[in-house]
Amino acid sequence: MRNILKMAAAFLVLLTAGCSKEYLNPVPQTSLSDLSVFDNKDRIVAQVNGMYSAVKAGWYLGGRYQSVADMRGDNFIPLSNNAYVNFNTWNHLEISATMEVNDIWNQIYASVNTVNVFLDGLKSNWESGKLAGIISEEEYNQFTSEALTLRAMCYFDLTRLYAKPYIQGNGENLGVPLRVKAEKSAEGNDLARSTVAEVYAQVLSDLNAAEPLAIANYGSDDLNTTRIHKNTIIALKTRVLLTKCDWAGAVSESAKIVPASAPFVAPSGVPNALSTNWSAIWTNNTTKESIFSLPNTDINNGGGQSAITWYFSSESGESVYLVATSPVYAAMDPTDIRRSSMDVLVPGGSDPDQYFLTKYTHFTTLSDWCPVIRYAEILLSRAEALVRSGGSVTQEAVDLLNAVRTRAFPTGAFTLASFATPADFYSAVLQERNFEFLGEGMRSFDLMRLGLDIPAKEGLTMGNIGAIPASSAAYYWPIPSGELSLNKLCVP
Amino acid sequence: MKKILLIFSLLLLTCTYVMSQTVQITGTVTSSEDGLALPGVNVTVKGTTIGAITTAEGKYFLSAPAKAQTLVFSFIGFRTTEVPIGGRTKVDAVLTQDTYNVEEVVVVAYGTQQKRDVTGSVASVKGDAIRTVPVQSFDQALQGKAAGVSITLPNGVLNNPPVIRIRGYNSISGSSSPLIVVDGVPIASGNFGGTAAANALSDINPSDIASMDILKDASATALYGSRAANGVILITTKHGSGGKTKVTYDGYVGFTEPTHIFKVMDAAQYIEEKNAARVNYLGESAAKIVQLTDANGKPIDTNWADHIYHKGFQQNHTVTISGATPSTSYYLSVGYSDQQGMVKTNTFSRKNARLNIDHNVTSFLKIGANIGYTNGYSRSPQVGADYATAASARLAFVLPPVLPVYNNDGTLNIAGAGIGGQGEPFGNLGYPNPDVVLKENKFTTETDRLLTTLYATVTLFKGMELRTQYGIDNLTSEQMWYLSPINGDGQGSNGDAGASNRKFRRWNWSNTASYTKSIAETYNIGLLAGVEEQRTVDNSWSGEKYNVNDPFFKTYQGSWTNVYMGGGGMGENYYISYFGRASFNYSRKYFLEGSVRRDGFSGLSTGKKFGTFWGASAMWDLSKEEFISNAIGNIFSDMRLKASYGRVGNISAVGDFSSLFLYGSGLYATVPTLAFTQAGNADLKWETSDKYDAGISFSLFKDRIQTQLNYYYNNINGLVLSVPQSPSKGIPGSSIPANVGSMYNTGAEISITSFNIAKPNFSWTTTLNLSTLKNKVTALAPGVDEILGYTGGLEISNKTVVGQPVGGLYVVETRGVDPQTGRRIFVNKAGKEVEFYYENSGSARWQYKDESGVAPAITQSSDGKIMGSGIPKVFGGLDNNLTYKNLDFSINLTYAFGFDIYNGTKAGLRDQRWWNNSAEVAETYWKQPGDVTDIAKPFWGDNISNGHNSLPQSSLVEKGDYVKIRNISLGYVIRKLPSITGIESIRVYVQAFNLHTFTKYSGSDPEISSNGDSNVSPGVDRNSAPQARTYTLGVNINF
Repeated sequence: MRNILKMAAAFLVLLTAGCSKEYLNPVPQTSLSDLSVFDNKDRIVAQVNGMYSAVKAGWYLGGRYQSVADMRGDNFIPLSNNAYVNFNTWNHLEISATMEVNDIWNQIYASVNTVNVFLDGLKSNWESGKLAGIISEEEYNQFTSEALTLRAMCYFDLTRLYAKPYIQGNGENLGVPLRVKAEKSAEGNDLARSTVAEVYAQVLSDLNAAEPLAIANYGSDDLNTTRIHKNTIIALKTRVLLTKCDWAGAVSESAKIVPASAPFVAPSGVPNALSTNWSAIWTNNTTKESIFSLPNTDINNGGGQSAITWYFSSESGESVYLVATSPVYAAMDPTDIRRSSMDVLVPGGSDPDQYFLTKYTHFTTLSDWCPVIRYAEILLSRAEALVRSGGSVTQEAVDLLNAVRTRAFPTGAFTLASFATPADFYSAVLQERNFEFLGEGMRSFDLMRLGLDIPAKEGLTMGNIGAIPASSAAYYWPIPSGELSLNKLCVP
Repeated sequence: MKKILLIFSLLLLTCTYVMSQTVQITGTVTSSEDGLALPGVNVTVKGTTIGAITTAEGKYFLSAPAKAQTLVFSFIGFRTTEVPIGGRTKVDAVLTQDTYNVEEVVVVAYGTQQKRDVTGSVASVKGDAIRTVPVQSFDQALQGKAAGVSITLPNGVLNNPPVIRIRGYNSISGSSSPLIVVDGVPIASGNFGGTAAANALSDINPSDIASMDILKDASATALYGSRAANGVILITTKHGSGGKTKVTYDGYVGFTEPTHIFKVMDAAQYIEEKNAARVNYLGESAAKIVQLTDANGKPIDTNWADHIYHKGFQQNHTVTISGATPSTSYYLSVGYSDQQGMVKTNTFSRKNARLNIDHNVTSFLKIGANIGYTNGYSRSPQVGADYATAASARLAFVLPPVLPVYNNDGTLNIAGAGIGGQGEPFGNLGYPNPDVVLKENKFTTETDRLLTTLYATVTLFKGMELRTQYGIDNLTSEQMWYLSPINGDGQGSNGDAGASNRKFRRWNWSNTASYTKSIAETYNIGLLAGVEEQRTVDNSWSGEKYNVNDPFFKTYQGSWTNVYMGGGGMGENYYISYFGRASFNYSRKYFLEGSVRRDGFSGLSTGKKFGTFWGASAMWDLSKEEFISNAIGNIFSDMRLKASYGRVGNISAVGDFSSLFLYGSGLYATVPTLAFTQAGNADLKWETSDKYDAGISFSLFKDRIQTQLNYYYNNINGLVLSVPQSPSKGIPGSSIPANVGSMYNTGAEISITSFNIAKPNFSWTTTLNLSTLKNKVTALAPGVDEILGYTGGLEISNKTVVGQPVGGLYVVETRGVDPQTGRRIFVNKAGKEVEFYYENSGSARWQYKDESGVAPAITQSSDGKIMGSGIPKVFGGLDNNLTYKNLDFSINLTYAFGFDIYNGTKAGLRDQRWWNNSAEVAETYWKQPGDVTDIAKPFWGDNISNGHNSLPQSSLVEKGDYVKIRNISLGYVIRKLPSITGIESIRVYVQAFNLHTFTKYSGSDPEISSNGDSNVSPGVDRNSAPQARTYTLGVNINF
């Protein structure tokens, strides 16, 4: 009897001995688990591309961010009052609960976490030696530099939209929460806002750490435009330092990629330079002028109502346009190619003609690339920084300004005598930036970084919008309601 | 495979059998009723496994040990009788019928028990109770048959899975549907089709079912561990029995029609009412809708319901061959079913075969196999629920009667993707011509299912049995669809066709050892120990093309210009479990039982894969206590008290890979990307259900009236809910699922079976089931105040909040129409009455009723509140079965009380755009001050005053209480037939299913669920198709 019971027990035990360990730990076949994404170089490169893909999403630099930056300015008139296409941004009626206020924040922070998760994984796998033989130290540094730069760009873009500009109180005002470690769990929802100065410090620290690690030249036009290299970091730093009102810093930084005199070609790394033909920038996505652009295709782009083409193309029923009396249009010379290249639509009746940018024209496929930084911006930034730090207008500064201006408006060159005071120069540079970067997400930030009121704008049937003074709460965006309701330490 | 050989060799080594002195005993067994011999009776020597079965003449031959004392005679339907041998060699027995089924055996988890010994809460339904009901699947016929079990058919579309709830709603994000086990193997359930529904449970031919045992409390379900929280339904298929081979044929033919078609306005009423609305809004000079005439000059008055519904013809046939010899029993059945639904082009057909064999190889080794194969095919147009414009149920009542199906020149009345407007002042409509979409568009699902259970049992020695069982559930489902380029959803893309294939593969292997021992008839012990493994792989892939090259091509495999990116998914999971049960009773007076199961599930994270579930119950048979039987024994023939408690789990909310951190792949323009896409929760685990149950069962008048009363309380914790995360963390989806919610279900169940009259020639049995249910949510995720329930992705119809039942109906309060102004009166959150003036613009539309001026616009989010619940508070069934000589008659009622329905369909039936309305609108719309009505003054285009999907109003919330004549049948049995026919008996019957519903609900049927099996959106009727009424004429022939 005992024996039989023993046999029965043995019989049961025998069956469990073969219980399949691998069945109990299945590996999904259509997604990779975090344990296998660092197994080979292709997967690591795919993760790097994944970070770029996150910032390229329609709700960030795939189109919405640039659109919002322009619509907050004083230039355009929208065709549609559909709230889904940022109408509440254009008329400055956005509130904490407004859709774009929440969704742009969400996408930028999703990009930040994508970077943090990658950096965390890359660093721990490298330090444990797992990546030996898979990637070289140069590649490790290069990937790290790309990650740090993208994160810096995200925080810079967040803080110049959702907080008071640096110029107001030298950055003492509240900025955004700074998350610099990978977030993977339900912990840590509460994080207080750092000050604007603290955010800039993090941004510059990331950029300065990235610069020596970055690759100098990828060896292909495509990669030199769509991926970050040393000159990209320098260009971005110049933008950040200028926004921070660190004129001397902007001068010394831009000196690394802008020589003391014409021809203005970056002396090291990728030989970035102005494209001699302005239109070529938009037909050839990878000219040396495009330091950093985000690529799109017919099946991979920001999507309808978010892609940059949607907001500026004459074929879109929901884009923005200028009329003859729009200040920026009226100020441009008729022979300036930036004005003459615009598309004209005649709506008929008593409505004025509508002028649309032709920078983004692939409306059916939405495959236009999104410009992030062009060499032209560095020249103009350097020009402004030279005068602001030096206190007087110099020929070098005038030459830089002219390089950009005469490329589009050959007969419009300035001379030293054109500027009685530095203030005249600043106005001229500001206006040139307005002409040059229409539809590229610059205008409202150029006004805010200098603490200038956002001028009133006429919207024809959409209504006239009053000026927004720099002291107004509508000057910058509110912290979104989604964050306030879940982050207990974040104050509005 | 090597393992199986090892096991069998072990078994052979360890088997023992007794050899000792024996004596031959023989005898005859007869029935006490008519003195006739009883074949197939089990005769065993008490205290041994030695036995025999009586022959066709009722005789048996037995080699009993010399010391044997008693013989036990047992046979289904008769009371087990013990006869002392007393040294005789001829021992006869007379058996009496078990009229009141007290000796029934019920199937419980991993075994069977005598009905009277069951300490847990189990409801049994015999297969014959549902055998002839004209439905596609057994679950559709269970309504009202078991206390605590609520079955709702969402609509009358064929093969649509019903919503099954055992003792309430047991989950929010997971599934509340019970585990279905067929012949010991947990099987796939749910809808394996798409537009053409394919209820996985219809693969089981209802004729093949011997019994359905429903396990409800912790004690009965604990052995199913982490899948038990929603209850378990055990299906046992038929096995052969009793001597000579029996052949049966069951067949029926019948037709089906909708139970309800809305009475809508005819052309004259439509023209009058809509033109009044146009004048009210656009002024006297508004372009009017005119009466058009057809090619023969007759006025066009199209009854669109006629083009959508019809009488569908149905037929069903099953032939079975079964029998048993002393060592082998077999059951073979072949079935064919071909049904047309009440909606044109909705069809279902099924071919199935089943073979169940059990064989005693030796006296200690028994093997068997249950094998069933089913091929099912469903075709359906888009029928209803929600907002699909091609949905036939809505086309039946929304299309204007002034429009024809064909133009006067004979061509189809179509314009682009919609039906042509014929120049009427409402332009072309976005809704298609039903004649085209029903005939040309095609959605089909074909399923192939193989359900198999193989087993071997070894009786090591008396009372000790080892059993190994291996089961397979393979289901392949292929869906195909075609959207015609002529009209409807396929017109814009010049036609669209696609196909998807889903392959579900499951194997289940369990090994159990059970031991029963009776010490001196007083101490009865039962022990069970087991191990089970189950693996499921579920893969699917699909393709779709559009822009057809020639309208001749109507399938995916044809010639098309454009291709969409294909899709698919792959899932797999695995369970490994160890379980045990111990039951003990003292003299069948005091019972104790405990079960425990340790489940490991692959979807949980490493190191946390296992969990333990258990249940315990106790029962006291009061009627065996002398002091009780003396006091009340002459009234109460049986009285038991039971109680149980335990903790079981619901793993359905945990996916196959939910605990993992996953990366998805995409594109950065032209290069591949990998990015973090799922923040798995490594702490995610099953939801737990602590179940309390207390009950009393008693019988009156010698088991004549059998009653069970139960009280239950299910406390559910650890509900998996999405916990929102701060957006600045950048977590994909900004939420992480976690076990944070809690909810409870409580109620009482009453079950009464009364054998009112039980004479040989006349019997009348009544069965009443009544269940009550109170459901309440007690906690949601931190930072979450509410969970919204959507209908059709467009309308927020429900809201779940703490302190209320799940899925409350979320509407703005309205107080009818103001007789003075004809405007709908809304109530804002401050309680002030606000009227809606459609003809004003912008903010001036909302005016305070007391004329104090413009009011802020009423919105659902600021002024809405929960004003009803779709979960019935009381539900059940009442069955009456009568037999008189050769006639039998039965009537089954089902009922549900104490619930509300959000009648979203009514909003559409009162919509003042070009939509047709119910006739009530033409008859009662507000015309002048003083009119008391519920239809506001009509303004052309007004789709808000009478209900809008973004502003649901309480005028659309109605009581759903109903009593339904679910089934009524009348049959006649002919027994004395000439033996040349080979027929032993024929029963001919007529039956009506869903004959009539008594209710005040104004929609198509109070038994409705536009949102199907959803936990958070019950009680919604939005454009659903009605139920179907089916009349059948059938025969049951026993050869």
